[in-house]
Amino acid sequence: MSKNIACTHCHLEFNEDVMIKDGEHYFCCNGCQGVYHLLNEEGLDSFYEKAGNTKLTPQTSQYEDSSNFNSPAFYDKFVTIDKDGFSKVSLVIEGIHCSACVWLNEKALHKMDGVIEADINFTNNKATILWADDVVKLSQIIDMIRAIGYNAFPYDASVQESYANKERKDYYLRMSVAIFSTMNIMWIAVAQYAGYFSGITQDMKTILNIAEGVLATPVLFYSGWIFFRGAYYGLKTKVVNMDILVATGALLTYLYSIYITIVESGEAYFDSVSMIITFVLVGKFLEVLSKKNAADALDIMGKHIQSEINVIKDNQLVSCKLDDIKVGDIVVVSSGEKVLLDGEVIKGSGTFDESSLTGESEPIYKKVGDKLISGTVSIDADVQFRVTKDFKHSTLSTIVTLLESAINKKPKIQQMANKLSEYFSSTILILSLLTFLGWWFWPHSFEISFMVAVSVIVIACPCALALATPVATLVGLSLGAKRGILFKEAAQLETMAKVDTLVLDKTGTLTVGKPEVVKEHILEDFEKEILFSMVKNSKHPISKGILRYLKENDDGLKDIIFDEFSQVPAQGMKAIYNGVEFLGGNKLLMKNSDIEVEFSSDNSIFYFSVDNKIVAIYELNDKIKEGAKEFIEFIKSKNIDAIMLTGDNAKSALRVANEIGIDYLYEQSPQDKANYISNLRENSKTVVMVGDGVNDALALATADIGIVMGSGSDIAVDVGDVVLLNNSLKSLSDAFKISKTTLGLIKQNLLISLIYNAITVPLAMAGYVIPLVAAISMSLSSFLVVGNSMRIKYKWSK
Amino acid sequence: MDNWVIAMMLGASIFLGAIALSAFLWALKNGQFDDEEKFLNAAKFDSEEDLNDAVQKELKKEKLKKEYKPE
Repeated sequence: MSKNIACTHCHLEFNEDVMIKDGEHYFCCNGCQGVYHLLNEEGLDSFYEKAGNTKLTPQTSQYEDSSNFNSPAFYDKFVTIDKDGFSKVSLVIEGIHCSACVWLNEKALHKMDGVIEADINFTNNKATILWADDVVKLSQIIDMIRAIGYNAFPYDASVQESYANKERKDYYLRMSVAIFSTMNIMWIAVAQYAGYFSGITQDMKTILNIAEGVLATPVLFYSGWIFFRGAYYGLKTKVVNMDILVATGALLTYLYSIYITIVESGEAYFDSVSMIITFVLVGKFLEVLSKKNAADALDIMGKHIQSEINVIKDNQLVSCKLDDIKVGDIVVVSSGEKVLLDGEVIKGSGTFDESSLTGESEPIYKKVGDKLISGTVSIDADVQFRVTKDFKHSTLSTIVTLLESAINKKPKIQQMANKLSEYFSSTILILSLLTFLGWWFWPHSFEISFMVAVSVIVIACPCALALATPVATLVGLSLGAKRGILFKEAAQLETMAKVDTLVLDKTGTLTVGKPEVVKEHILEDFEKEILFSMVKNSKHPISKGILRYLKENDDGLKDIIFDEFSQVPAQGMKAIYNGVEFLGGNKLLMKNSDIEVEFSSDNSIFYFSVDNKIVAIYELNDKIKEGAKEFIEFIKSKNIDAIMLTGDNAKSALRVANEIGIDYLYEQSPQDKANYISNLRENSKTVVMVGDGVNDALALATADIGIVMGSGSDIAVDVGDVVLLNNSLKSLSDAFKISKTTLGLIKQNLLISLIYNAITVPLAMAGYVIPLVAAISMSLSSFLVVGNSMRIKYKWSK
Repeated sequence: MDNWVIAMMLGASIFLGAIALSAFLWALKNGQFDDEEKFLNAAKFDSEEDLNDAVQKELKKEKLKKEYKPE
């Protein structure tokens, strides 16, 4: 027995006998050998030193022709020209395992003539490449990436994604300036306060004031620019928002402090100016952080465009771009492939999985003359079909188009804190004006009255109010993330807590979505290994269900190589081993082989026969998920109406509904589901839709909140607002609990900051607030809010 | 005179701090912190050869920028 050794390139271990020996090196395949020599020739072999023992993907050579990447249509779609005239493309690079891989790709690309810049992101493997198109073509760049053992495909770097990043960067810049200045101002303020209590010369005070003023200026006018802009838009739309309060408060305090510094009497408040701006800016930044950071919806189309389709033209099989296919073309679909166009079968037959479109859990048998819907997947069918609609008008595209308009129509969520801050801001501004008038007419100097009025605004500065919501939602988001619940936007936590109607899909949401064995009848002993090998060779969901069942019960089953094996479309499979015939499939298969069956059940049935005698019967069904009944009870106890909408037939809908106790509607098309939800919403209900398939996508986008199972189709996951990564109903009820907790937390935090203001604002109006107290109490209220949020987080994690 | 010492020290330290801050802002704007993993891994690829490569890359970029005149 020879030992296993690792391939020099990819480090995967194989038996010595099957390896290619090349000098002192061993390779698992020609691809790896090729890459190794290429890297050596190019002087990039220090890659192996950097990569260490990381296992890489072996090189494969089955790629579509890269010259496609040079077509004008492709350039139109993915390539942009920058201001210097260089071309730019965004690529996703496959096969990156470690930092050395990134290093290698960047190095190899930089070595090419004409490539200006190749920048690969470690975290998401997305690359931006800048090149001179006269010198080198995109196809050569992609060929290079493939030559060193990776693959690349372009994606549309959507406008919104880069916009979100830009906004974030802008906040980083403004925050660094604000935090830097505030920290330094605080040191100086320590001296000021010490002087306030123990005496300080006026000269020294002025020096400190000037230093503080210098530091506070960039904070107010650079970091605080956001608030001035917000205040301007607020005034324009005649809404008194929080920005107006922050901007007037900070600006008035700043001007007053400059005045104090010049006349050399009284106390300057530069520290308060920078602290207000910094605290509220941090609150705003937290909000930006928890916003949806990528506009996934726009990417939906891009994912399908990449695929090439096999078309028969002049009796020859050619591959063709999806967009180029016209009505009347003949398309070939083989088993396992996805149907991307609508059409009519003209040759062949077989079963198709329509579950993602219709919710039908059973595969459907299609023969010549039957209609194919785009978005379905061929299970075992090799068919040719005539296209009846081009891609732009296909069912799949129609759904996507409807989706995009539904997403655009989605109402903006009005957060509670925003509503509150409107009233709050106008109240404080009026109070401070009244304070000023009161003190002035109660004969005091202009200076003193102005200072008291400003102190009202400063003390009421909505630091705590600004932090209340973002901190609470961040806690909610992290609680969710730990339990496999991804909220795409923080504001959805608030909406979800107010939900009163829950709409559920059946297949894949309440049920597992694939048939599982529910009963096994063994009539006679037989070799399990034969059945195991048979079902392993089939892609049919029923076979897969039996395969899972067999694996669960016996781990040690081995593969058998049959003398003969064939699949009978829509019936089952036949195998011959050691001269004995084995049949596995449905009733029809048994009938055709003249085997009598007297068995009936509501479930799907799989018969297994040896030598024309049935030895085992398996009953399969789309199992209801664990905890479904408890979940519905939980939802009802929260006074939320629940209803199940399914595209499936009445019988299977009834079975599930009866078992878990839920109202239902059956045979609902994607549009029906969406209409049902928009009706509910017109009756001012707040609706959560839970689903997983393409057929749910429209409904998910129409609902206030769309929750998607992580295993769902790409489109659904893109459209949904909340993704449940582990697909369980337990995390669905957790999502509800977390949103309720978060809303409670937001309310608590808002209450804390309002109580704080109710105490301090009257004190300020009476003129009892000295600068030190104002500064301390401002930080204290913010700490209270953050501390309260941490308390909830701690309670949950226990 | 004591006051002037304090004023000078304050001025000098704020000035030095401002230089550090502007360096940080430059790095931030330049995208050096965009990819936190790359930023952390950079220490691994910090040999003489890597430095040379980086310089070559800049030179190549400058050269291409000068020569390249798309129609």
